[in-house]
Amino acid sequence: MKYKVCIIGGGIIGTAIAYFLGKLGENSVAIFEKRYLSSGATGRCGGGIRQQWSTKSNVRLAMRSVEFFKKFKEEVGMDIEYRQGGYLLLSYSEEEARQFEKNVEMQREEGLDVEILSPRMVSKRYPYINTDGLILATFCPTDGHANPHKATFGYANAAKKMGIDIYTHTEVNGIEVKNGKICGIHTSKGYFECDIVVNAAGAWSKEVGMMAGVQLPTESYRHQIFVTEPLEYFFPFMAISFSGNFYMRQALHGQFIMGQGDKDEKPGINENVTFRFEKEMARKMTKIFPFLENVRILRHWSGEYNMSPDAQPILGKSDKIDNFYYAIGFSGHGFMLAPAVGEAIAELIVFGKTIHSDISYLNTERFKKGIVQEKNVV
Amino acid sequence: MSRRVVAHPILGDLIEEEVIEFEFEGLKLKALKSDTIASALISNGIDIFGFSESGKPKGFFCAIGKCSSCLVVVDGVPNVRACITPVRDGMRVERQKGKGKPVW
Amino acid sequence: MVKKVQALVIGAGPAGLCGSIAIAENGVEVLVVDEGLVPGGQLPKQTHKFFGHEGFFASVRGFEIGEKLYNDAVNLGVKFLMKTTVSGIYEDVIVLYDRENERIYEINADYVLIATGASERFISFKKNYLPGVYGAGAVQTLMNQYRVLPGNDFLIVGAGNIGLIVAYQLLQAGANVKAIVEASNKVGGYLVHANKVKRMGVPILLRHTIVEAIGEERVRGAVISEVDDSFNPIKGTEKELAVDTICLAVGLQPSIELAAQAGAEIKYIPELGGYVPIRDENMKTTVDNVYIAGDLASIEEASTAMIEGYIAGYNIAQKITGLDLSENISKMKKELEEFRRGPFSGKVRKGLKKFGVEFPEGGFRTEPQKDEGPAGKLRVKIECPQNIPCNPCETSCPTGAIDVGGNINGLPYVDYDKCIGCGVCVMKCPGLAIFLVQELSDYSIVGIPYEFELPEKGEKVLLLDRNGEIVGEGEIEKIVRNSKGKTHIVYLKVPKGLEDNVRHFVRHEEKEEEIVCRCEEITRSEIEKAIEEGYTDFEELRRYLRISMGPCGGRVCRLQTLSIISLKTGIPISELESGRFRPPSIPIPFKAILKGDEKDEI
Repeated sequence: MKYKVCIIGGGIIGTAIAYFLGKLGENSVAIFEKRYLSSGATGRCGGGIRQQWSTKSNVRLAMRSVEFFKKFKEEVGMDIEYRQGGYLLLSYSEEEARQFEKNVEMQREEGLDVEILSPRMVSKRYPYINTDGLILATFCPTDGHANPHKATFGYANAAKKMGIDIYTHTEVNGIEVKNGKICGIHTSKGYFECDIVVNAAGAWSKEVGMMAGVQLPTESYRHQIFVTEPLEYFFPFMAISFSGNFYMRQALHGQFIMGQGDKDEKPGINENVTFRFEKEMARKMTKIFPFLENVRILRHWSGEYNMSPDAQPILGKSDKIDNFYYAIGFSGHGFMLAPAVGEAIAELIVFGKTIHSDISYLNTERFKKGIVQEKNVV
Repeated sequence: MSRRVVAHPILGDLIEEEVIEFEFEGLKLKALKSDTIASALISNGIDIFGFSESGKPKGFFCAIGKCSSCLVVVDGVPNVRACITPVRDGMRVERQKGKGKPVW
Repeated sequence: MVKKVQALVIGAGPAGLCGSIAIAENGVEVLVVDEGLVPGGQLPKQTHKFFGHEGFFASVRGFEIGEKLYNDAVNLGVKFLMKTTVSGIYEDVIVLYDRENERIYEINADYVLIATGASERFISFKKNYLPGVYGAGAVQTLMNQYRVLPGNDFLIVGAGNIGLIVAYQLLQAGANVKAIVEASNKVGGYLVHANKVKRMGVPILLRHTIVEAIGEERVRGAVISEVDDSFNPIKGTEKELAVDTICLAVGLQPSIELAAQAGAEIKYIPELGGYVPIRDENMKTTVDNVYIAGDLASIEEASTAMIEGYIAGYNIAQKITGLDLSENISKMKKELEEFRRGPFSGKVRKGLKKFGVEFPEGGFRTEPQKDEGPAGKLRVKIECPQNIPCNPCETSCPTGAIDVGGNINGLPYVDYDKCIGCGVCVMKCPGLAIFLVQELSDYSIVGIPYEFELPEKGEKVLLLDRNGEIVGEGEIEKIVRNSKGKTHIVYLKVPKGLEDNVRHFVRHEEKEEEIVCRCEEITRSEIEKAIEEGYTDFEELRRYLRISMGPCGGRVCRLQTLSIISLKTGIPISELESGRFRPPSIPIPFKAILKGDEKDEI
């Protein structure tokens, strides 16, 4: 069996790339997923879609993605519960607040509508938030959230309709390289010849790199997340704080989804959960959102952030193997960037260059020049 | 308390127990001190504990806190499982309609 | 602060109680956690007598066994935490959620015995969401623990032991049972249980199922229909029954959530009840310090649950204390071997063999006694046709007239020379399967075991046969009360020649949509449609339809969904991925976690 493009990974990134390849007329494409679609980080994430970033390039990529999310239902054909309810960024440190003000200036220059709110304005607008200790907040009404599973299924179904094949429960266990070029992949369902391989393996990106003999600078870290029993929908935005280390949103269905980062996590794949996480979250979140006190935690799980050294994705072509492409290292924000990334990688494969988004600054070369950290990450 | 099994060939007669009063949808109802909210409601002839999001009536189902059929609002707090929550004197119980309302 | 215990037992049912006793007997500190209001698991609602032998409470009623075991455990210093759910076995700690005080506790344990039992299965039929459709266990809890009947006229779905027992208990509580429907072509439970309700006139309709509940706000009736060989309803055979309550007794599924969270390997073994943790003959799971016992390990009887509890408990005690308890352990293993020799253990034997735990079968008497005894003599008639592991008839007989042939599974024989017609065995038999007969010159005497409100001596009654059909009129000759055991003997005067027919009597004055996931209201057709669209993994369906994402955590719908996937795709359930079992196992309020921070003592 031969395909022009083999995509490794059936998460939002792999399916988005396949979809955009199909849109550009390339349908000799297959996705290989070792479990089921959205079984990795995609199906475990918070589902936020944010444009308020600290670097220009990320803001642009996110804004491009929002254009696609807005028309997802019409173009891709799946209702993904997309809602532009905004993102409320809460700052609890003076230093971060000053940075936020600078970010907003830059974001406005990029054409993003962002407000700066004082603690008084926050409590007036959102009486159910306790603003103790808050320095300032920023709010972007066009940020939002969606259902990541449905977005993945949406892209996958549309791709299938365009003749693209999807192999689930199919593990890739080797990449055949000859004379510095990939000629095929070994899977649990046999050998597939191909011209191009795309590494969209998320948490397993490093292992997939190793199969082709390439050392990739990504590491996976567990992030935990839980959901509550549903309440009536009243909380339309994502509340997030980098200095306070949390994020929370209410799904359209009513349940609250929330999480935090953990500096003590060691690299590696770990799908277990700790009670310490629930305890720390309970203490923090009931203080800021007192209405949570009588709300019940329903289900707790974990997924991996595939971290890159600067917390920004690694996109583009390998500098070692000409027909090996990457869309990895999303560092916890792959879902929200997926449409723009899918489009860009597809363009890169079909036209040899991107048309709508500049992703050249996100290749692996950048780490040789030094690291500019993206700060707006939980 | 029309549905009480007062006499029983194996368990014997119902032992007299303290009667308490609670409120359901504004009605004052009586219950035994050892009742759960569910057994108190059933003994008063009330089978409908609430309505689902789409308006279907809901009653209890498993009686041991394993399903979510019997959610009621107790003293304003939603999502309380009637079948494993003891009834209390003066408790205010309401039918839950769809999802619970947040309290702040 | 995290508290540390030597042994944690999860579940205070028969398995957990016996396990805690075995551990505590050897001086080890034990904490038992249970989410019920009272200890005993399902025992407090069991008003019937148990099968087995005296060592494991044969002929004692379930609720009395629960009390006895609980008292034994307390006397050994076992600590109990009731109304408390183990909400999760996390990577770092085990969390207990105390519902009464709305707070959590964090603990660590050197050894854990998980005896979480089972929960009821659910089936889908039209309008099954209506109030008035209840689980059989729920009805039992309500009527026997809270003394409330949720209706007057019942339809029971399922003729396994639970359906049969609940039907009988409903009759005892004063309700009407209109019918028991059973989709297969035979009664799944013990025939002696079936006979108890049949002779009271409750029809057991084989090859029948429920297709629809009738009513707007609550159940007002039920539509039943015949089924074909693949259990599909046959069009045109529908019948309506006027009932106000539909009681589902369609089986149990092991409650494996906590075992799965603890990391024990889980396998789908239908003979054992579905997904079960794999374990060795010492009841140890694939995790070194995690043991299991009871229905969680395989859906079976309370007696085997108790024995498994002892086996697990002695093994844990041996590990903790370093004592040699091999004698206690092998004694219990012998017991278990005896109990599992019979035909009713065939499924369990087959299931256990799948992971290398083998039990022998047979070695007992299967030929029923032909001799009916000398006519004219007051003597017993034992109607116990199946090889049930049970022997109180033998052990209770004061003259040694009854034996089961050495092995507890054997069919009982009566030595009519020794039988004096005293009736002790009639009162003891847990299956109410022993009768007394005597042919006299003008009429005959039939003595029957009776567990209802007693009639008056001399009262005229209608005589019923084994199927509850009226066969004539008789009179109460004599009543022997059994105030302790509560199985009385009523002696009836019956017309000559009917002594072999009469087995009960009545006193003259007596006589839309199919929802699969209840939490999220997801219907069977929605699931089938999604499968047709290509969502053929449980986790995909969960993410796509939200099935099993509701507050019940998938207990109601997981297995049903997997069977629908299996039916639609042709992939056996054992080869499907079951999906993850995420903590908490019961939703816990933030408040409770905060409160758990305040004080540390349990």
